[in-house]
Amino acid sequence: MDIILTALKNSAMLTGQLLLIILPLTISYEFLKHKQKTLEEKTWRVFGITQNGLVPLITGVIIGLTYGAGVIIHSIRSSNMDKREAFLIMLFLSICHAIIEDTLIFVVIGANGIILVAIRFFLAFIFTYFAYRWLFFKKS
Amino acid sequence: MGWNTTSNFIRVSDLMLKEKQKNYFLNNLKKGLFNGLSVTLLMVKVIIPCYIIIELIKHFGIIRVIGNFFRPFMKYFGLPGEAAIGIIAGYTINLYAAIAVLSPLKLSTKDITIVALILGISHSLSVETPVTQKTGVNSWMLFCLRILLSLLAGVGLNLIWTLF
Repeated sequence: MDIILTALKNSAMLTGQLLLIILPLTISYEFLKHKQKTLEEKTWRVFGITQNGLVPLITGVIIGLTYGAGVIIHSIRSSNMDKREAFLIMLFLSICHAIIEDTLIFVVIGANGIILVAIRFFLAFIFTYFAYRWLFFKKS
Repeated sequence: MGWNTTSNFIRVSDLMLKEKQKNYFLNNLKKGLFNGLSVTLLMVKVIIPCYIIIELIKHFGIIRVIGNFFRPFMKYFGLPGEAAIGIIAGYTINLYAAIAVLSPLKLSTKDITIVALILGISHSLSVETPVTQKTGVNSWMLFCLRILLSLLAGVGLNLIWTLF
């Protein structure tokens, strides 16, 4: 019985810590959602990803695949983008997503956040670059 | 007369705009708070049972059996065998379950960072694979790639960490 009580107390404390991280994040997501339209106007292209892919990319990196699912699916489908581009975006996102929440959650239990963020961005860029070279230069 | 009415009109529209902005701010705040609380409710439902189960397993010594079973695999990541439970929980359920499992184990900073990298790359696969599928991308390839890459990243970080 004693074990269950201490487990309850400790898990309540853990939940409290996580709550302090999650509440500010979910509130700032709401404000971020309204800024999306201004991003779509610039034209650029990096690693085969054009301005159409910027909205799903930024949404995924900041919010994550679970809560950003609606925005990501909608913006990839509605912009009629190339299948290769969609694959590159999903590849980048599968390595590097929900970067704020995931990192902070693990920092609470004692991880080194800077190393985590740096490695995930590094790996995502490397893999997207090689997939881009492979997909876009295969024919020539 | 005409000037007066226009200035009044401007003042009224200005007030309406301010009211609108205030509503926009409050609405966003309300929506964010609501979302945060519903996420927390979801989290509590996962964290508390997982935490209690792990504490019980620890108390009855079953964790040592599981740890010994996974030790040969976890050796490559430089992790204790018990961390495998956290990784499996993260892969199949979600990150909150993984944290509830890892928190009572009292791992070192290095161990937690390695686990966090592995789980950061691939987690809650049961929820996120359907999302990747709905975008029209080959989700099986991404699914395999994520698991493979997360394990490789874990091995790599362990090597780098022990070298420096």
